[in-house]
Amino acid sequence: MTETQGFVAGVLLLIALLVYTFWPENVFASQGEKTRLDYLLERKEQLDENLRDLNFEFRAGKYPEEEFEAQRTQLENETAQLLVEIEHLQ
Amino acid sequence: MAAFGSFALLIALALAAYNLLAGGLALRLIATKQPTAVSPERLADTARRAGIAGFAAITAAAFALVWSVFANDFSITYIMEHSNRALPAAYKFAALWSGQEGSLVLWAWLLAAYGFVLRLRHKTDVKLYAYAGAILAGIQVFFLAVLNFAAPPFALLKGAIPQDGNGLNPLLQYPEMVIHPPLLYLGYVGFSVPFAFALGALMMRYPGEKWIKITRTWTMVTWLFLTAGVFLGMHWAYAVLGWGGYWGWDPVENASLMPWLTGTAFLHSVMMQEKKGMMKSWNVWLIFSTFLLTLLGTMLTRGGLVSSVHAFAESSIGYWFMVFMVIVLAVCIFTYILQRTHLQSEQRVESLVSRESSFLFNNLVLLAACFVILWGTLYPILSEYIEGAKVTVDAAWYNRVAVPIGLFLLFLAGVGPLLPWRATSFKSIRRNFVLPVIALWVAVVVCLIVGVRPWHNGALNRGNFYALVAFALAAGVLTAILSEFARGARVIAKQSGRNYFVSMVLLVRRNTRRYGGYFVHVGVVIVIVGLAGSAFNRSEEKELALNDKLAIGPYTLQCVGFTQDSNANYNSEYALLDVSKGGTKQFQMSPEKRVYLASGQPQTMVAIHSVPGWDLYVVYEGTNPDTDQPIIKAFLNPLVSWIWAGVMLMIFGTLVALTPRQWTVPAAEEVVKK
Repeated sequence: MTETQGFVAGVLLLIALLVYTFWPENVFASQGEKTRLDYLLERKEQLDENLRDLNFEFRAGKYPEEEFEAQRTQLENETAQLLVEIEHLQ
Repeated sequence: MAAFGSFALLIALALAAYNLLAGGLALRLIATKQPTAVSPERLADTARRAGIAGFAAITAAAFALVWSVFANDFSITYIMEHSNRALPAAYKFAALWSGQEGSLVLWAWLLAAYGFVLRLRHKTDVKLYAYAGAILAGIQVFFLAVLNFAAPPFALLKGAIPQDGNGLNPLLQYPEMVIHPPLLYLGYVGFSVPFAFALGALMMRYPGEKWIKITRTWTMVTWLFLTAGVFLGMHWAYAVLGWGGYWGWDPVENASLMPWLTGTAFLHSVMMQEKKGMMKSWNVWLIFSTFLLTLLGTMLTRGGLVSSVHAFAESSIGYWFMVFMVIVLAVCIFTYILQRTHLQSEQRVESLVSRESSFLFNNLVLLAACFVILWGTLYPILSEYIEGAKVTVDAAWYNRVAVPIGLFLLFLAGVGPLLPWRATSFKSIRRNFVLPVIALWVAVVVCLIVGVRPWHNGALNRGNFYALVAFALAAGVLTAILSEFARGARVIAKQSGRNYFVSMVLLVRRNTRRYGGYFVHVGVVIVIVGLAGSAFNRSEEKELALNDKLAIGPYTLQCVGFTQDSNANYNSEYALLDVSKGGTKQFQMSPEKRVYLASGQPQTMVAIHSVPGWDLYVVYEGTNPDTDQPIIKAFLNPLVSWIWAGVMLMIFGTLVALTPRQWTVPAAEEVVKK
């Protein structure tokens, strides 16, 4: 490829990429602000998963009964507080 | 092609700059909600498209460079310096990253490729992806500026065009070199993505921890590539450099290990943030540091700051990197100070003996290892700057510090998974640790019986002592991890009624991330066992005339011939050695020495016979000029193949962890909502 051919190919590439970049599209993705409710629902999902893991590990014999109960109560209390706030916001 | 390639790089720079500026402006307008003539969302979308178009432009430039190598266009300085007509096709392709300019093209192309995928997936979280895209564009602007103004890959040769090029560095003419640098770069460059997400999430005060879930796959894939790259580099050093070892604490090796250590720490501690909302500031700084260390690694490899057998391109672009690193650090510090209130932990570590604290210790130890290596790597530069004399740090210094740290990490890899979250009682410790501790002591006794003794002639032998500790800890950790699998499978077998093997598979599918992680831990244990084997390495060197013998371990090497060969790329001479064991011939080895015609440089080709117990590693060192006799050096390196097997398991484990969770265990009792 000669220098001139290379330059022409470069110009063609430039035109193609500019057309792609600035082609007028009516539809493009946008997003609203994430709300406190969205955040709480995500947090609740995580707490549910933590509870599932705790239950599984208890059944696998990793926790003595009293430790399991204490941790489960703690996680359930956290979930309950979240649920109250979620219900309030909904 | 040179004109087209240069033009394509210039277009890519303009597009990246537009992506950064238009993207940044659009995000600012969206954040401040100012009324504008052009919709900020539309502006942001053109920025995103510019990023995608930039990928096409850089691909065109990379294609032009590869094309020029295959077309033997020696009018381009880079092609003349790194290729020649007789170079085999695979190595012509490898010429793309064998020099500084080409490897920077690879960096920019990989970054654009990661950015391309990221921008196509923008609908996952439009705003967060827009921030990450703009930050990636900022990084891309730097690399493209270097390529356009400081290290142009299409610079033309001044004067007459030679008929042939200088050829590829002989050290790079090895099959692994075709994949090792791209993998390492995929790891280096890949950390730009979690960095961009973390910085973007901090800039926009992203509510919650969902950004961690979004970036998890990116981080793990990046870590996987870096792991594969680091270990392939080890294997290359082992098979090519001919010194019998695989890790020499060379600055460039260290440069690849440091981001791996901080990246590993990040992968662990980010779970704390995701699960418990803890360690937010810590995680942000871990990923910032990891990205800065990848830049430092690139600077060390490409900038000519340190001398290394791996630094194939040295120049003054180190100053560009230094300035860029200062800018990145300043942006990170400024953003952190501005948004630090967003990073308050939601919970605290309640007990020193808990899963949380084991993650914390794991992080501290990994960072300590990283700091030690960073200090050792930079010390020669600092000593030269401060005292005027370069003081080098030898491998023994690193081993003295890094080996105990590595063993402590191994200990934590076994303890961590057994500890419950929040706090641990003595009863719980007793319940979970009995088996691993028994396994540990059994291993100690077995090792002592088979001759792994930490003393020699009444004095402590440090190498043997560490090996003994490593083997014992490995047994304990393996037992701990296997007991995790066994207990989990038992629960599933009980609740699903399936057999034990199916239950084991279902267990992994239930929580791919956790059990994939355990596979990685088992891989690490196997790697450490392999590394510990180096305490028992031995070697023999001898001038071997025809039919002379050299004995090492259970093997006897007998020289049955010396011969020469040549092809268009190199001349070679090699020895033919019959290897016998117990008086019976087992196999033949042919260590070789090559001299490449284009560069005139010699290269050793090691012969390796690998079995699970050891590697027989034979080097043809050339001939003694006084006696004209060939010199053969043989090494017996125990357990080396365990290292490569462990790495394969680490890769398998990461792939498992990357697989989405596919199965849920039937509930034995319902979780009650209070």
